[in-house]
Amino acid sequence: MKRTIVPFGPQHPVLPEPIVLDLLLEDEKVVDAIPTIGYIHRGLEAMVDRVEYTEMGFVVERICGICSFMHGLGYCLALESIMNVEVPDRARWLRIIWAEISRIQSHLLWLGLGADAFGFENLFMHCWRMREEILDIFEKTTGGRIIHSVNRIGGVKRDIADSELVAILARLDELGSAFDATVKVFGSDASIRHRLGGVGILSAADARAVDAVGPMARASGVRMDTRLTGQNLYDQLDFEPVLETAGDCLARVIVRMREVRQSIELVHQMVDKMPKGEGMPLENKPRGNPSGETFTRLEQPRGEVVYYVKANGTKYLERFRARTPTFANIPAMIKLVKGCDLADVPNIILTIDPCISCTER
Amino acid sequence: MDKAAFLARVGEYHKNGWRLAIINATTVPSPDEVTPGVFEISWGFAHELEFETIRETVTTADEVPSVSEFFGAAFLYENEMRELFGINVTGIGLDLGGQLYKTSVKIPFSHAAVKARLEATAAANAAAAGKKA
Repeated sequence: MKRTIVPFGPQHPVLPEPIVLDLLLEDEKVVDAIPTIGYIHRGLEAMVDRVEYTEMGFVVERICGICSFMHGLGYCLALESIMNVEVPDRARWLRIIWAEISRIQSHLLWLGLGADAFGFENLFMHCWRMREEILDIFEKTTGGRIIHSVNRIGGVKRDIADSELVAILARLDELGSAFDATVKVFGSDASIRHRLGGVGILSAADARAVDAVGPMARASGVRMDTRLTGQNLYDQLDFEPVLETAGDCLARVIVRMREVRQSIELVHQMVDKMPKGEGMPLENKPRGNPSGETFTRLEQPRGEVVYYVKANGTKYLERFRARTPTFANIPAMIKLVKGCDLADVPNIILTIDPCISCTER
Repeated sequence: MDKAAFLARVGEYHKNGWRLAIINATTVPSPDEVTPGVFEISWGFAHELEFETIRETVTTADEVPSVSEFFGAAFLYENEMRELFGINVTGIGLDLGGQLYKTSVKIPFSHAAVKARLEATAAANAAAAGKKA
């Protein structure tokens, strides 16, 4: 049969960011896919040669505008591990509250983009309207809607007043109710089920074989979530990762929808358990320059991120590396598009929730 | 590096159900004009809550065997090491032939490139200190 190569990207209506897959087609079936990235590679990791470690956190936050809080947090955790800095209790709780709120906004953003990709413009607008509420919370508590800069090596820069935390919970509950109505549409609309159900199936065995992470793995029934390590106070919470078993595009949507609800619940638990009161310590400033190396893992909205930091006792790090979840999920994406119809490629690619900005750190 | 022993260790991780979480290379500049610079490569494996690494130190003259036969997802890390660090990784499962990244600086983490950046930083810091004085 005659084979054709169709380049998917770097510009494509479903891709806000550039990535290329050269799709090898037999008729309408994809038989192979070759990825190319690097269109917007910024070389942020190389900046450790000229940016002091105290300022590098601000650079790391700018790896991505959706995961900015998580990147800042991961960088600080890595440095704190090397420098043996103990973070005050309240700061640790504040960090994971922001982290879960960050997960909600990321999933809402993606659900909107997903809806837009399969032609449901109204759903896109609803999801993004709800996301604005989350950005309002970030703006009020950190001063920034996208880049927050509240993480410091040794703690956080700002507190959230107890009264404000109560107001945030009320706001999240309202958002949860509005979200439930949206969930019904995602879950019951015939056109959505038709476009996503049974499409792009990744079995649990395949998810393990290609080292998939995050909702991508959990939608295939793989119980994998770095929050299960119990680090960062998750051992004090009633937490069990959301799992689906179908492994198709619809399952990946459902996992993220359920995770929005779960994150709201987790924020409730966190506010209940955190130490209360005004004027509590928020930061233990590190002394001197870091020396040593560490790997740090975090569960970002898109899945596990791994940071590597190596420091040599000077104010410049020797190496900083971020292995982002999208980077880890590219092999899964290639696995999925092989054998699918050309018309399903956009939805399959979108359901890994690709963040090229993270990948092109 | 002892390639056979290395691959045997990687194979053990695979057999025991670990997954490949990261492959990371670090450019270690030479301490003087005579000693050649080296690269430290870490293969990070995760299993449930555990995380372990294999560490090897190599030069640009060494061949680093791909671990694609055990971990299919390794090809991205391995293409990256070759393109960004100039490390000679052989037998990559999906060899992208230098087309994974499009960078303005060829091999941006080579010893020469890192040295040039470090010297530029030192010069900029010296100039800033001079201005303050």
